Amino acid sequence: MQVTLKIERYNPESDESRQETFSVDVVEEATLLDVLDVIKDEVDGSLTYRKSCRMAVCGSCGMRMDGDAVLACKTPMRPLVEAGEVPVISPMGNLPVLKDLVVDMEPFWAKFRAIKPYLDDGGEEPPVKEWRVQQEELDRVMTEALCIQCGCCVSECNSMEADPDFLGPAALAKAARFVNDVRDRGGKSRLEIYNGPHGVWDCTRCYFCNQRCPKGVHPRDAIAKVGAAIYQEGMHSDGGARHAKVFVKSTHQTGYLLETHLVPETVGPVNAIKEIPFALRLARAGKVPNPLKPHKAKKLDEVRKLHKLIESQEQATLEAANAGPTRPPADPAQAKESE
Amino acid sequence: MVRHDVVVVGAGLAGMRAAIEASRYGADVGVVSKLHPTRSHSGAAEGGINAALGNAGEDDPQKHTFFTVKGSDYLGDQDAIAVMCEEGPGDIYELEHMGAIFSRTDDGRIAQRPFGAGGAPRTCYAADITGHVLLHVLYEQLVKSGVTVYEEWFALDLVTDGERCVGVTAWDLVRGGVQGVEASAVIMATGGLGRMYRGTTNAYACTGDGMSMAWRAGVPLKDMEFMQFHPTTLKSNGVLITEGARGEGGYLRNSEGDRFMFNYAPNAGELASRDVVSRSEQTEIDEGRGVDGCVLLDLTHLGAKRINERLHGSRELAMDYAGVDPIEEPIPVRPGSHYHMGGIDTDVWGHTLMPGLYAAGECACVSVHGANRLGGNSLLETVVFGRRTGAAAAQDVRRNGSGGVFSPSAAAIAERSIGRMLDKNDGERPHVLRQELADAMYDNAGIFRSAEGLEACKAKVEELRERYDRGVVVQDKGRDFNTDLIQAIELGSMLEMADCLVTGAIARTESRGAHSRLDYPERDDEAWLRHTLAFYDEGQVRLDYRPVTITEYEPAVRSY
Repeated sequence: MQVTLKIERYNPESDESRQETFSVDVVEEATLLDVLDVIKDEVDGSLTYRKSCRMAVCGSCGMRMDGDAVLACKTPMRPLVEAGEVPVISPMGNLPVLKDLVVDMEPFWAKFRAIKPYLDDGGEEPPVKEWRVQQEELDRVMTEALCIQCGCCVSECNSMEADPDFLGPAALAKAARFVNDVRDRGGKSRLEIYNGPHGVWDCTRCYFCNQRCPKGVHPRDAIAKVGAAIYQEGMHSDGGARHAKVFVKSTHQTGYLLETHLVPETVGPVNAIKEIPFALRLARAGKVPNPLKPHKAKKLDEVRKLHKLIESQEQATLEAANAGPTRPPADPAQAKESE
Repeated sequence: MVRHDVVVVGAGLAGMRAAIEASRYGADVGVVSKLHPTRSHSGAAEGGINAALGNAGEDDPQKHTFFTVKGSDYLGDQDAIAVMCEEGPGDIYELEHMGAIFSRTDDGRIAQRPFGAGGAPRTCYAADITGHVLLHVLYEQLVKSGVTVYEEWFALDLVTDGERCVGVTAWDLVRGGVQGVEASAVIMATGGLGRMYRGTTNAYACTGDGMSMAWRAGVPLKDMEFMQFHPTTLKSNGVLITEGARGEGGYLRNSEGDRFMFNYAPNAGELASRDVVSRSEQTEIDEGRGVDGCVLLDLTHLGAKRINERLHGSRELAMDYAGVDPIEEPIPVRPGSHYHMGGIDTDVWGHTLMPGLYAAGECACVSVHGANRLGGNSLLETVVFGRRTGAAAAQDVRRNGSGGVFSPSAAAIAERSIGRMLDKNDGERPHVLRQELADAMYDNAGIFRSAEGLEACKAKVEELRERYDRGVVVQDKGRDFNTDLIQAIELGSMLEMADCLVTGAIARTESRGAHSRLDYPERDDEAWLRHTLAFYDEGQVRLDYRPVTITEYEPAVRSY
């Protein structure tokens, strides 16, 4: 079949950018990566992209197709050809472009390193054999363990676009993988990293990471898990945590989010004064509801039922977690052996 | 120019495990890798890692040793196999303590399932993404260790002072330019060479670079003719479907719906060793009982729950690359080149014949796999011998000091050679030669071999080497991130290694393990119970031989 692509090119040596159209003949089952390979072999050897496993496990070939991050090796081209589309292929977002479709992954890995990306055994001597861990306990981190660090989530992260220092979905999903591992002893000191500036509370919940992850890791859900762990540890003083609290309180009271309460209760009355000019600008644009007449949901009782339901579900999860061992119990057989 | 006590080339499981261990011994360690570590092909290993933990039934390291010896068709060195099988459990527990997420038994221990020709349920696994889980765990530990990693540096040549290895030269892919990397010990851990075959499970990166570097420096390569063909790979792109699919109870069927494996391996059936299953499949296909060049891997009877829990990744691969949902219908599969048993000749501590040079993992040949590797033993080899090699290199450096002199001219020589490649403007494009090589290897040095086919293959490889030496055209003339250049260099490595493989295969006039000669169908212990050594001799391959180490198990008839 004939595939036509428009590719965003960038040559670092001449600092030139351009879009180039390529049209090649490929086999029916060709993926985007296969098409790029044919172009590189037969048309233009200077076309540059990363690749290795071509089976969606090495995470090398993240790039954008029509503005959405994809793994080139996991993207079949036939549906696009049949629909008569000519997709635009460009490098991933939120990372500096090195050449054509290759981005500099160093900022990505710097965040990976920043979240203490290894099991913290608390300096304890491990057992002679394996830790005794139930499958259900490991299942809690299995989703995050699927992550191949391809960067597709980071490419699409809205928060990172606004705050390049935001730890971001990939690093925080990695964090969740340790937070919920019963063998990890990192505790509060680990959570402090995620609770700090540029941590979990910077996520705007746009869910683009969940949507674009090629491996089903659901980074946004992972960020929520880390946030929940921070809450459970009683670490409520961070602005992000307070912000979340106002959401809960306000929806409980009125069924809606009371925007006028959000800022003062999150940042405190003194800091809120500093935000007055911003609030006035918002008001002029008609973006501020009347603070004296807060809107109230008609079916407030329904909203409160939802609150109750969520609370009871969380309670059940907590109890289940507490009922299970927080640390794998000593294996009597192993204890004997070590004697 | 950079300098470390120990430099590891390659950052898959063996390379990272070696680097971590050398670092534990106090060595200053640097890792040079053409890929970021987590992009390494170890991550594609699916099914599992063997060790006689005995969690799923009676087992012990002796039994593991025996079945590995038998699986190797008695070409594996029994002392080395015993080391791997005895130390294996300790390495598994260590990986678990590092945080590896192994699937569990009901009482919370590491679960184990049967793999082909293992003789016991011995394969520990993390669903069907075992390699991925282990690769990321070792990367976590590598980050923790603070070892310096030179990512996307492509190692070009070993640097020697005439006697010992004193470092490597490497091309900095990101910025362009040759870097000298001086070291008191160099550990090669560069993986396999499956890309020289059409239809391979291997990543694009598996081009035999490390083996060819060692060979050119005069270090012998061992048992290069032994290439394993995995029985269950997807037709479209060669992607692997794990042996765990059969370990979990999957069937192989021919076009008539028969479970044909019992005609070839009456006892083990689908779980015979890989060479046996691949040959049986090919025979079915050749005799007209295939389905469009494939046989069928039938998992439908396992049910959705089991498939989703234990074989989730395989289901995804089948859906993505074969358009088949294994819950609903069988997956068409065929044998594809998968794992290279041969490699840089080492002892059980990773020493090569050149002082200062070590090797571990698929690029090495200890030999623990002999003529045929058992599924689940390659991941084990990477961690056991990665650890041992890292320890040996660090201790040798501490005992012997820094060693030889790294000549500053090494980098200049490499720079000139790359300059010549970039300057070449007329000639053939590398992919033309690469495709011809892959076809020749698959057609004539594949599952079934013969003198006629192998001689034709050798002639083809020699012709391709000549065409390559005349110069291939690298169209990308820039220095920054020039993947066109790297692919051209990789082609050179593959051509050299193909020559070693085919030359060894022509000489070995017997059938043993994965080396199956139609013209010599029997195993011939009298003449061929010995290792092949391939030496560099003015660009050509010179063969020599060495006895196999036999300790406990006298060669016997191998049947499943």
